[in-house]
Amino acid sequence: MSEASVATQRHLKLRYLGRGGQIIIYLGKLLRGFIYQADWKVMPMAALIAGLVSMVVRRDFFLTMEGTLKGAFALTCVSIWNGCFNSIQVVCRERDIIKREHRSGLHISAYIFAHMVYQALLCLLQTGITLFVCQRTGIQFPQQGLFTPWLIVDIGITVFLITYASDMLSLWISCITRSTTTAMTVMPFILIFQLVFSGGIFTLPQWAIKISAASISNYGLKCIAAQADYNKQPLVTAWNSIVKVEKQEFNATVTVGQILDFLQKDDVSLIHDFRATEFNAPTTGELLSMFGLGANDPLGTGLPSFNELLSMGTGMLPENAAGGENTVSSEESAPRTLTFGQVIDELAAMESVRNIRDKSYNFSTTVGQIIEMIGREKMQNYVQDMTAQSNQNADYENSKANIFGYWGNISIFVFVFAILSVICLEFVDKDKR
Amino acid sequence: MVVLKIIENIIFGNSGTWAVISGVLYIIGLWRIFQKSDVPGWKALIPWYREYWLGKCAGKEQEGRFLAVAQFIYTAGNIAVELIKNENARLFVAVISIMAWIIYAIYSIQVYNGLIDVYNVRKRWLWLWILAEPIPALIWGFNDKYQPSWKAGEFRDNAVSHVRGGEVADMGEGLTVNLNKREVPDGLFQKKVLLKDIHMNIKPGRLVMLLGGSGAGKTTYVNAINGYEKADAKVILNGRNIYKEYSKMLYEVGFVPQSDLMRGKDTVLHTLIDYANLRLPSNFSDQDRKDRVEEALKLFGLGPVRNSMVSQLSGGQRKRLSIAMEFISNPSLFILDEPDSGVDGVMARELFKQLRKVADTGRIVIAITHTPDRVVELFDDVIILAKDSDRIGRLAFYGTVDECRKFFGKERMEEVVKTINRPEEGGDGRADEFIIKYAQEVQHV
Repeated sequence: MSEASVATQRHLKLRYLGRGGQIIIYLGKLLRGFIYQADWKVMPMAALIAGLVSMVVRRDFFLTMEGTLKGAFALTCVSIWNGCFNSIQVVCRERDIIKREHRSGLHISAYIFAHMVYQALLCLLQTGITLFVCQRTGIQFPQQGLFTPWLIVDIGITVFLITYASDMLSLWISCITRSTTTAMTVMPFILIFQLVFSGGIFTLPQWAIKISAASISNYGLKCIAAQADYNKQPLVTAWNSIVKVEKQEFNATVTVGQILDFLQKDDVSLIHDFRATEFNAPTTGELLSMFGLGANDPLGTGLPSFNELLSMGTGMLPENAAGGENTVSSEESAPRTLTFGQVIDELAAMESVRNIRDKSYNFSTTVGQIIEMIGREKMQNYVQDMTAQSNQNADYENSKANIFGYWGNISIFVFVFAILSVICLEFVDKDKR
Repeated sequence: MVVLKIIENIIFGNSGTWAVISGVLYIIGLWRIFQKSDVPGWKALIPWYREYWLGKCAGKEQEGRFLAVAQFIYTAGNIAVELIKNENARLFVAVISIMAWIIYAIYSIQVYNGLIDVYNVRKRWLWLWILAEPIPALIWGFNDKYQPSWKAGEFRDNAVSHVRGGEVADMGEGLTVNLNKREVPDGLFQKKVLLKDIHMNIKPGRLVMLLGGSGAGKTTYVNAINGYEKADAKVILNGRNIYKEYSKMLYEVGFVPQSDLMRGKDTVLHTLIDYANLRLPSNFSDQDRKDRVEEALKLFGLGPVRNSMVSQLSGGQRKRLSIAMEFISNPSLFILDEPDSGVDGVMARELFKQLRKVADTGRIVIAITHTPDRVVELFDDVIILAKDSDRIGRLAFYGTVDECRKFFGKERMEEVVKTINRPEEGGDGRADEFIIKYAQEVQHV
């Protein structure tokens, strides 16, 4: 029997390097590639992208609903971009080499797992760089996170998962495509899909919402928005729009009834506050001069003057505990403490006032004057709170269960794409020579 | 009405009176065109399948395949738009259908261009094919003036197609190959035979030259015998069936591909160490592995560049590294696909001398080369593969170098290859003659 034949018999009984050992070999190759093959270039690129994006979103991130959504979207985009660029070419550029090595005993699963470990390290570094740059360029991360004492760490986990899931998606594409040119042609479509179907910035129709469930960005954006406590923040768009038209003049006609009904809405915080406001009941003269009205209908409206209105109210107002006399009965009466709510309610209850509920007043004013009349800060808070209330989103709920759910969903993408990568690359032998 | 529209769409690719008339004329024209290319005319009747065959007749099989798929999607989209009520879904399907139509239009142009080349007519015909395809289809189909210069037809009944090589018995040692057929999918419903009837015994310690014209199936053959691309065959190496025990036997076979498939940004030493770890059995100690790496570096003259990046090596050094990578696992069967490509004459000779040394240790070394005469005296045996008139790779000879010279009546191996090459490849076109002669000789033996 020849030497070779003996060797064959002997070799058949031997064990060869298993998947675990192969993972270590390929991890070593990849780490050497990081230095020699200039794979490290993705690190400064991550810093550059994070810096550019951060400069745009830093002012409002974590401060307003709009800013938070914009920031969450931007951070998601940065993560997806980083992840995609990490691995889009790594397999297809050495496809023929893999084919040869597969023929020499390489296990595809070991090869992909080595990539998973290596890419996880890359993504971790990129996450650190991205968040560091964001913080340095002025994004104020709130202190307390849900899972750790630092929100930046919580968000870091999300950013890492988004980057890693995108990385695995690109790895899969790299396993399917047979050349770097094809891979780079496919990538923009993947990015566009991820951006459009993130669901935060673009309003999606019902059918598209179902598709968005298949996008990493959808969960990533929601997760960051939830961590940033989106629902607790004010919505400033409406207030900003109001301020823009501050000088706008307008004419309006209101009836006495409308005014009274509006001023009796105690469930509206702004009105409630107004109604609760105490004041020293003025004399009739003071009231008249306050509103610029004379005693006998100086505007010629044909409507009852304030003097008349107040006369109608004489005797109807409760006896003031402080002085025992009618609050607005005469110009000389001493001022006493009342709330606006009391006055309004009394007026509304008066039969004589009820009779004139349909009487209308025409007036001309500016948006700014109304704001000033109510109080700028109070008005701003009211508008922002009201619009924020109507913009609450259960998807952005700042709870551990919610965020953990998103992390879970993104992690599923990681494993699905890794498994798909193995399956697809197993067909490398079928490539045409 | 909808049903009628669907049927029209399926048969003619569109609906409406004009679509039906032009579709019928087109099919009639195609029927005749197919017949001129030795393809059964009825294939023109089958929607989508006819597009694939049109591509084949145009010498653009791949394009024909895309054409068929694109038209199928386009037609399916048209039908779906008729049936679907949901507006969003209709819109989505319509977009897909438009995309398919664009792909269809582009591949149509490619196929028509191919057809113009095959029929050797002026390029301006392309416009007529694009604008009114039934007209050129009818003219080319029914006018005898238009004849294809190449026929896509299926296998013809040649004398060579009936020739069978004799099966060989397993020797217990060395390599025994009994390859009946190696075929690959060709189109949707058929297969293309690449190799047929190759039977041989190669004894241990032989350095074997594998020769043949381009497309004769040399690479297909080596891939089939090393078990990487399985054929209808039985391949026994030292008493073990490679196909059945592939996962174990793959360490017994070293295959050096034609191109140098290595990572450029890795050092020579790391490349060899990694390969040693991958290919050597687990019972090899670290010292044994290092020794094996050192041995390979020394044997293939790579010591001075051990710490260089692979991308910095010369063509010859890369080739030697590529061989060393496989050599390191000490395989019983060593197959090299053109190891001398891109290497100068002196270097090539040195390379083959090293392979001679490997063979002298009892290993079987099979090497494909296109410059056989400068190293032929180093070889023991020659395998000659030739493309027969059915364009199938066949065994035209296997034996010693001297027997080969005698068999073909030629002194130089390049002359042998020229003899069996097809006339359009600059050869004498005598492949069938030698395939039959060799088969008869083997059977008589």
